[in-house]
Amino acid sequence: MLEISDLHVSVAGTAVLKGLTLQVPRGEVHAVMGPNGSGKSTLAYVLAGRPGYEITRGTVSYEGRDLLALTPEERARLGVFLGFQYPVEIPGVNNVYLLKAALNAMRKARGQSEVDAFEFLALVRDKMKLMRMEDSFLSRGVNEGFSGGEKKRNEILQMLVLEPRLAILDETDSGLDIDALKIVADGVNSMRAADRSFVLVTHYQRLLEHVIPDRVHVLVRGRIARSGDRTLAHELERRGYDWLLGEAA
Amino acid sequence: MSADPRAALAARIGREYAESWGTQTEARAGAARRQRALEALVSQGLPSSRDENWKYANLRPLERARFAAPRLEPSRDALIATLPPAIAGYARYTFIDGVRLEDAGGDSKTASPGLLNSLASESGRRALADLDSIADAGPDTRFALLNEAFAPDGALIRVPASAAGVARIELVFVSVAAAQAGASHPRVLVRLEPGARLDLIERHLSSGSGSGFVNSAVQVALEAGATLNHYRVQQLGARAVWFDTLSAELASRATYRAYCASLGAQSARSTLQVRLGGEGAQLALHAVSVGDRQQVLDGYARVEHAAPATRTEETFRGIAAGRARVAFNGKIVVRAGAHKTDSSQSLRGLLAGPEAEIDVRPQLEIHTDDVRCSHGATAGKLDEAMLFYLLTRGLEPDAAQRLLKWAFLEDVVARIEIVELRRQIEASLAGQMHEADALQELL
Repeated sequence: MLEISDLHVSVAGTAVLKGLTLQVPRGEVHAVMGPNGSGKSTLAYVLAGRPGYEITRGTVSYEGRDLLALTPEERARLGVFLGFQYPVEIPGVNNVYLLKAALNAMRKARGQSEVDAFEFLALVRDKMKLMRMEDSFLSRGVNEGFSGGEKKRNEILQMLVLEPRLAILDETDSGLDIDALKIVADGVNSMRAADRSFVLVTHYQRLLEHVIPDRVHVLVRGRIARSGDRTLAHELERRGYDWLLGEAA
Repeated sequence: MSADPRAALAARIGREYAESWGTQTEARAGAARRQRALEALVSQGLPSSRDENWKYANLRPLERARFAAPRLEPSRDALIATLPPAIAGYARYTFIDGVRLEDAGGDSKTASPGLLNSLASESGRRALADLDSIADAGPDTRFALLNEAFAPDGALIRVPASAAGVARIELVFVSVAAAQAGASHPRVLVRLEPGARLDLIERHLSSGSGSGFVNSAVQVALEAGATLNHYRVQQLGARAVWFDTLSAELASRATYRAYCASLGAQSARSTLQVRLGGEGAQLALHAVSVGDRQQVLDGYARVEHAAPATRTEETFRGIAAGRARVAFNGKIVVRAGAHKTDSSQSLRGLLAGPEAEIDVRPQLEIHTDDVRCSHGATAGKLDEAMLFYLLTRGLEPDAAQRLLKWAFLEDVVARIEIVELRRQIEASLAGQMHEADALQELL
């Protein structure tokens, strides 16, 4: 599904990713963990195509395509979804309008007709129930005045509606209380499927108590310092990141 | 070249006045009023770009304009067909080049009868006699003097304290004559007696060549506890020139909400002066300007807090595309003794073209302690983070930009509570942004 090979990325002239290599096979959930400043969010943004990141070396292949050659909207339409660490507030744009425009963009890319208005509302209401969101949310501005937890739930709601093939969730667990964390985890788990992969970028392992990863990778100073199964997350929880920082130096 | 262009202009104004009003018989009070306005104007002169608060306005059209009212008789049937659909519940009054057209549709028979008087009528002139002249409002209101000297007619609205419920009136000013033939001087005087309430729609439109010179003057007096919701829409033709002066005086606990949309005209300048003269008076001013091509849309709002516990909320959103210049200068003055003043300004401009220009400027002048005055001003391009967020959801860059521009204007437009009017304005905005089809879904 996703193959990242020897990826080097600079931001404003400073090297952040320094030879990152990672494979995420179809249907798997991979966690990318690491201390602050290790390059986790940079990885998430580069995969989604955010401007301002200079790729100095390496390749990223997504379902056999050169992902880095595609625009952000092309990536989205091919099924790449980024759940933002800090979802952007867009006053004046209704949530329901954005959801519909996004879903229709995906459908158009797949050669489908625009979604029927009634079917669309039924679909969204169904997913909102899962995320325990109230109806009034639909007419509010995108993330406008949302609490941190509401914003994260909104990201997951968008994912549920858009049904991506590769979901990159950047610190979706940060700032959530335990109830919200469980709602978000339920949303992610409901989406696990044989043809869908996840990259969970996270600082702490607590999300991984609820969403069991197939693989855990530790990103330190711009490279994968260690990979393992879910027990690696427990080890990190116990020992912290310092021992790996020592190794990577 | 003549010695002093301003003196030459003043002399020409005097000549045109003598030609148009010097020979006419008018009730004494009205004539004296005109004469005073003319004298004040000739002695002060019209503003020039050297005057503070006028540097963004386009004053060149003054050189070519004829200030007297045109003498042409427009075809009224053709005209009525071009008017926007009536808004349910509003009594509509239509003025052609500043002159009232009788019975031009709308709910005139059913809604709010008897509140509007034509200034050209005998009773209108009598009622005018006990109103202050706009001439006393300061150097930035000199175009109102021009209006006062030349306006052949106008709307005088008085809502008595005894009126039940909310009065609803729509004024439509249509500019027909080309600038060389004569100017249109729309004139509105509004007085709300204590506790009275009025919803007022004021539109400025063009018919025919769309190249008229329009100089509107609006005077608002709100007595204690009165409430005015005022919707002002400028949609003049692409070659029209608009000068506009509004002055308002608010007594204690009066509320004035002004919603202003400036979309049309080649060049438009709107000057608003509001004085919060009574304790607890409140102003909400929400303005939007969208310019394209080589349009110059300039706004200046001066709000004076002259009494304690007065409040102002001011929002401006402007978009400049093409080679347009869009400006808004919002000045708030807090007088000594106006403690517990609470004012907020949010002025934002969006550049939608490499050759466009945006100027937004909040200004504060505070002469007392114990006030809360906040302001924010930004001018720039679309927010990159918002744009990227929309792209990651699969939207086309064009669609994403359109959506963000729309959202930007909605900060103001969404506040318009008359649904039919809001939809008309939204449709015009979409047209102005050349995106009527693409934005259809949002309307």
